[in-house]
Amino acid sequence: MFNELDPLLLSQLRLAIMSHLMVVRQTDFNTLKTQTGATAGNLSAQISKLQEAGYIEVEKTFNNNYPLTLCKLTAAGIEAFEAFYANLKSYFDAEDKG
Amino acid sequence: MENDEKILNPQESLRVIRETIDLAKNSIRENGFHFLLWGWLVVLACIADYYLDVVVQYPNHFLAWIAMAVIGLPTALIYEWRREKKDPSTFNTIRGWYGRVWLAFGISLFLVLVLTVRAQVSPVPYILVLVGFATFISGSLLRFAPLIFGAVVMWVAAIICMMLGYQEHLLVQALATVAGYLVPGYIMSAKARNKHV
Repeated sequence: MFNELDPLLLSQLRLAIMSHLMVVRQTDFNTLKTQTGATAGNLSAQISKLQEAGYIEVEKTFNNNYPLTLCKLTAAGIEAFEAFYANLKSYFDAEDKG
Repeated sequence: MENDEKILNPQESLRVIRETIDLAKNSIRENGFHFLLWGWLVVLACIADYYLDVVVQYPNHFLAWIAMAVIGLPTALIYEWRREKKDPSTFNTIRGWYGRVWLAFGISLFLVLVLTVRAQVSPVPYILVLVGFATFISGSLLRFAPLIFGAVVMWVAAIICMMLGYQEHLLVQALATVAGYLVPGYIMSAKARNKHV
């Protein structure tokens, strides 16, 4: 029996955002857009959902007078991703045994 | 990425994680600045030390190395500070580890220098072993084979030093730095430029 997977991370784009941030810890909106291939509107909506859940922090700043949106994983986000991955792993382990 | 609200099954979730992480890892690149900076400084310091010691017979020939540190350390720190300021998104886990490896190298290098001066032996072979160690880990973190090759060059040079005297050690170190540090540095720099165009 495996634990239920976090429904917030069962969306392709949200999971991609979280996976990317697990490697780079912090990145800007445009890099996330390139890396995930998402549209700006969609990416923005999914980032807001992750932010509401407390998984990521969003900081709006400036770089050479251009607005820069930085996204960073929070401790709760790292924990949620690790739990999600551990649950996924236990699912495949159970499947292998079965 | 289409259909973002689609509920993923476990297989799809694992695929998304794997693909995204692979893509993120490949986006991590260094431009070789530090390898070129320190590579040239070490080569120049080796030649200067050799010239001052062997040709001019100046007793304080080691000043070449102090000059290297005085030029190199502020340049490297200012470069990193400006890079971080220019683009705060450049920080990532791999670069974090990369920085820690070279910090540990710096501390070890300082201790090796103190210990070898006290023991009155040539520090060069020990420095080459340490440089090889840090270069090997950097190459593994960045998945950059020329740096692994560079590490092997440093280790081979350390063995060659066993057969030579202190003054020749400096020439071996200069050659090893060109082959094991500057060559990978220039390849890295060329690759980073091509990706940015």
